Amino acid sequence: MPELKVKGVTIVETFAEAFPMVGTRVIITAPTAEWAKISARTMTGFATSVIACGAEGGIERTLPKSETPDGRPGVSVLLFTMDANMLQTQLRNRVGQCVLTSPGSACYAGLEGEKKLKLGASLRFFGDGWQMSKVIGGRRYWRIPVMGGEFVCEDKTGMTTKAVGGGNLLVVGKSHSAVLAACTRAVKAMADVPDVITPFPGGIVRSGSKVGSKYAGQIASTNHAYAPGLKWHADSELPPNAEAVLEIVIDGLTADAIHEAMHEGLHAIAKGGSREGITHITAGNYGGNLGPHHFHLKEIVG
Amino acid sequence: MSALCFELKGRPEQRLDLSSLVPARLDGLNRKQIEALSIATTREALSVGDAFKVTGKDVQNLHFIDTDDRCDKIGAKLTGGEIVVEGDAGMLLGAQMKRGKIAVQGSAGVSVGATMTGGEISVRRDVGDQAGGVAFGETFGMKGGFISIGGVAGALVGERLRRGLIVVGGKAGEYAGGRMVAGTIVLRGGAGRYAGYGNRRGSLIFTDKPRHLLPTYVDSGVMEFDYLRLLETWLRGQGMRIRLGGRARRLMGDMAVLGKGEMLILD
Repeated sequence: MPELKVKGVTIVETFAEAFPMVGTRVIITAPTAEWAKISARTMTGFATSVIACGAEGGIERTLPKSETPDGRPGVSVLLFTMDANMLQTQLRNRVGQCVLTSPGSACYAGLEGEKKLKLGASLRFFGDGWQMSKVIGGRRYWRIPVMGGEFVCEDKTGMTTKAVGGGNLLVVGKSHSAVLAACTRAVKAMADVPDVITPFPGGIVRSGSKVGSKYAGQIASTNHAYAPGLKWHADSELPPNAEAVLEIVIDGLTADAIHEAMHEGLHAIAKGGSREGITHITAGNYGGNLGPHHFHLKEIVG
Repeated sequence: MSALCFELKGRPEQRLDLSSLVPARLDGLNRKQIEALSIATTREALSVGDAFKVTGKDVQNLHFIDTDDRCDKIGAKLTGGEIVVEGDAGMLLGAQMKRGKIAVQGSAGVSVGATMTGGEISVRRDVGDQAGGVAFGETFGMKGGFISIGGVAGALVGERLRRGLIVVGGKAGEYAGGRMVAGTIVLRGGAGRYAGYGNRRGSLIFTDKPRHLLPTYVDSGVMEFDYLRLLETWLRGQGMRIRLGGRARRLMGDMAVLGKGEMLILD
């Protein structure tokens, strides 16, 4: 079978293996777009991987005044975990510590969802009895008096159990700068896809991991098969001219959203062609036995 | 399918109880059966066919045409569908309704939306006393939903209001929000004396400085309220352009009772 190439970049015939997650969306508004972003970035800053952050999260998109419940600038944030209890805990802690505390912020539900998570329903207790409940159009909101005025927070937000985490693309290139530029372009392209986030710093992971380690108690360790400094090893998956590999991890509310994001990302990476120094686009998997969602690159290309 | 229309033949000699003319009761009935329904409130027997000319078929879309202030309980206990009143309505319009929409093009009598729990009532002109108030045998007033009044409201608008939103376009009478427990009343044309009397946790929003203020309300000064922005945005989604802005003076009260209610007077 001929090798699949896009603009000279080899698309390795493999698949990204992804896992079921639970996810939610909240909308954060603020007096300015910048303050809405600050609030959202604080909430999702330490949310790159469930391995040690408890949750994976990120900004899905910025929202103009016309799309927010209170007519102020806003952002929508997605948050994912492996189970509903953890999502509830993470949501309460992150909104409580990062959004409630952020000047001028308000927080609203961003998802209807088949099940509900408490939002203001937990945070209202910060009001120490001075909180007020308001029902507008069948939705309950809490007004919590704070030093900056009032924190308005919707009572509940929706949760989906159909979320998917761990969609990914691995980008192999002849220089670190070429791979970084291509990945940056891809993250930007994926930002336009609804229902997905790329939770790592700037959307990019430089330290992809494998499950387990030679050290007892270390649950994840470096993906040595893709470390260019270990190309000599028999496990290496890299061609001799590879100098750097970066990964983009994608979490989404649905598998279809991840498929679309991977499609956009793959073509953005390959946009400059092999002339820019990108040699391969591949994906990470565990042999297909662990995760039920398989995103085959040959289908993603199409 | 055309709306099911009830056209009043002339001014009735007695008050009419139209609570049976709601989609849930009319569903599955043919025109003859509908015309045979009793609507009398005195010993004089009266059926729908005696008072109304009935046309159309769609029971989810009811029109009352040329009705007057003797047509009581239109849409009472409504559980869905839409009702348009091309005329006036009597008392207890939409009382205890749960869902659905009622739009009145004229005025309505006392106790509009009394103890309603959901749905929407809009009255283009004036309403009588106790709009959103307490239905017979109940302990609370309106418990949810939305009432919009284009004109003047009588006394005790939102009496014992428990939840939900009332917007009054014109002036409200005395005791607006009297003994309200929670919920919100937006007063665009001011109110008579004793507004917010006995208010526990409810919100009275005045778009202009009220002429009379109870002495049992305590000034908290002016500040920003995202809640007002949220409400303004929601109202705009309902087709109501009311400028609430974000700044208001907050008075807490009624301190004669719980004291966790408020008056927000737009700045």
